[in-house]
Amino acid sequence: MSAIRVRRASLLLTAGVCLLVSTACGSGSSGTSTSSTSTSSTTGSGTTPTTVNNTQAVQVGVGPTGTDVNQLLTTITICVPGTTNCQAISNILVDTGSTGLRLLSSAVTLTLPRASDSSGHALGNCVAFANNNYAWGPVATADIQIAGEVASSVPIQLLGVSGFPAVPKACDTGGSAASSVDVLGAYGILGIGVFRQDCGSACVTAGSTLPSVYFGCPSSGCVAEAVALTQQLQNPVWMFPQDNNGVLIALPALYGSGEQSVSGSLIFGIGTQIDNALSGVTIYTTDTSGNFTVTFNGANYTDSFIDSGSNGYFFLNATTLGIPLCTAQTTFYCPSATYSAGALTSGTNSASNAIALTVANAEQLFATGNNAFNDLGGPAAGGFDLGLPFFYGRYVYVAIEDQSTTSGIGPYWAY
Amino acid sequence: MKSIAAIFLIAVSSTVPAWAVLGQSQESVQSDAKTLKGTLTTTEMSGYSVQQINRDDGMVLKEFVSPEGKVFGISWKGPTMPNLSQLLGLYFAAFQDANRSTHRRGPLSIHTGPLVVETGGHLRAFHVRAYVTVLLPSGVTEAVVQ
Repeated sequence: MSAIRVRRASLLLTAGVCLLVSTACGSGSSGTSTSSTSTSSTTGSGTTPTTVNNTQAVQVGVGPTGTDVNQLLTTITICVPGTTNCQAISNILVDTGSTGLRLLSSAVTLTLPRASDSSGHALGNCVAFANNNYAWGPVATADIQIAGEVASSVPIQLLGVSGFPAVPKACDTGGSAASSVDVLGAYGILGIGVFRQDCGSACVTAGSTLPSVYFGCPSSGCVAEAVALTQQLQNPVWMFPQDNNGVLIALPALYGSGEQSVSGSLIFGIGTQIDNALSGVTIYTTDTSGNFTVTFNGANYTDSFIDSGSNGYFFLNATTLGIPLCTAQTTFYCPSATYSAGALTSGTNSASNAIALTVANAEQLFATGNNAFNDLGGPAAGGFDLGLPFFYGRYVYVAIEDQSTTSGIGPYWAY
Repeated sequence: MKSIAAIFLIAVSSTVPAWAVLGQSQESVQSDAKTLKGTLTTTEMSGYSVQQINRDDGMVLKEFVSPEGKVFGISWKGPTMPNLSQLLGLYFAAFQDANRSTHRRGPLSIHTGPLVVETGGHLRAFHVRAYVTVLLPSGVTEAVVQ
């Protein structure tokens, strides 16, 4: 590991697009440019969207638990719908691996209206994450303000609500309830991945394969049920009046053994303003599950993805890679010397480019006391999980499904 | 001891849909396919067999069975996470005891005694693989559990 430490270039945050990440700002258009009309409004009928501040500050630093590293956090404002009765909530995880806003009820001081199903029963939502913890709680409605953008009357989820029915059996993964800061690691999760809704069409039709995600809760107990798309948790970005086709996450490059803290930008819209132009990058379309392919050592891993909510590069396993797990924390790799390898990322549009994966000894990284690392890694089942380390020193665009951009329709990633 | 475990599982199955879980016999695989509303196919491999249940929503559950009829490994792929207490069965307690790492925001990798559990994925696309090293048939490696 290099002992050289280069001061983080905080210019990236303020300087707009083309200063530091040269690959994102070259001349010419991207290789896979499919010209289409840019529509930046889904709600207004013929009104021209105004230009608003689309840039939100994001940070990686000491999170609310003090132990979680590589957590990309921001502050959002929620309001009782249609009112100026609002509150700001900090320490919200920016997560491209999920969809919808989920907030610890202990962090919410407002009284938000609760959603009900078509029978008038309280509507509950349940999703489980790859760490096997589950988020259970009522669906509520809020206006969401981030930077100068506003999404109105958005279905969100409240976690750890006292008095709400206990978690249904069909939702319980055997893990912990993400209803406290200790388990969630943040005050909330802002899910802004490639989907419009957290469940989508799978949850619209009742039947034998209905996922246990939405629950109607009569007094007799909560039962999984089908709900319309509009009742589901929404990616707030696609509900903005403008800049609503996706996001761009820009984080500075890291050097050496990480940083105490890192500042970057979450920019709304793709090709909608001067600061989110889509040029000099490659577009990788995803499959219907939000995955693309990583090719590594001649094998194709088709269930791979980019996830700002994962704190490392998670891929393969110790036996396959030939590098050891950490002894105390087997969720991470602890190679004796820093491991580096190349891989190929490919979209369903067949666009592909090489990336480099670097994995340092996680216990040595943690011992530095730093919070931001570009070389933290661990094993995973399935495909490659390109987590937050992948974002440092890159501009990563996340285009939302069925939303138009100047370079085609989402879902896609570009970098 | 064996019969006590069996009685316990039957009692549990009246409230929770029971699957053929890690370390148990393969006899209940047929009913698993029914419980999970999927179709079952069996593939004979060299030194083991794979009982695979496919469901319309894309869920694929594979149970890796030794020649003695024991489930030595399980893999899951689906739009939601499975209930790991069902999948891991009697190994779930050991899994929970070992699931204590800090600095964690991502998939799990649990190695405790003979048990290995790995997860992965994101909302709408999850993976789980689990196996018990001491139950691997001779000549079969953990790499087959995918």
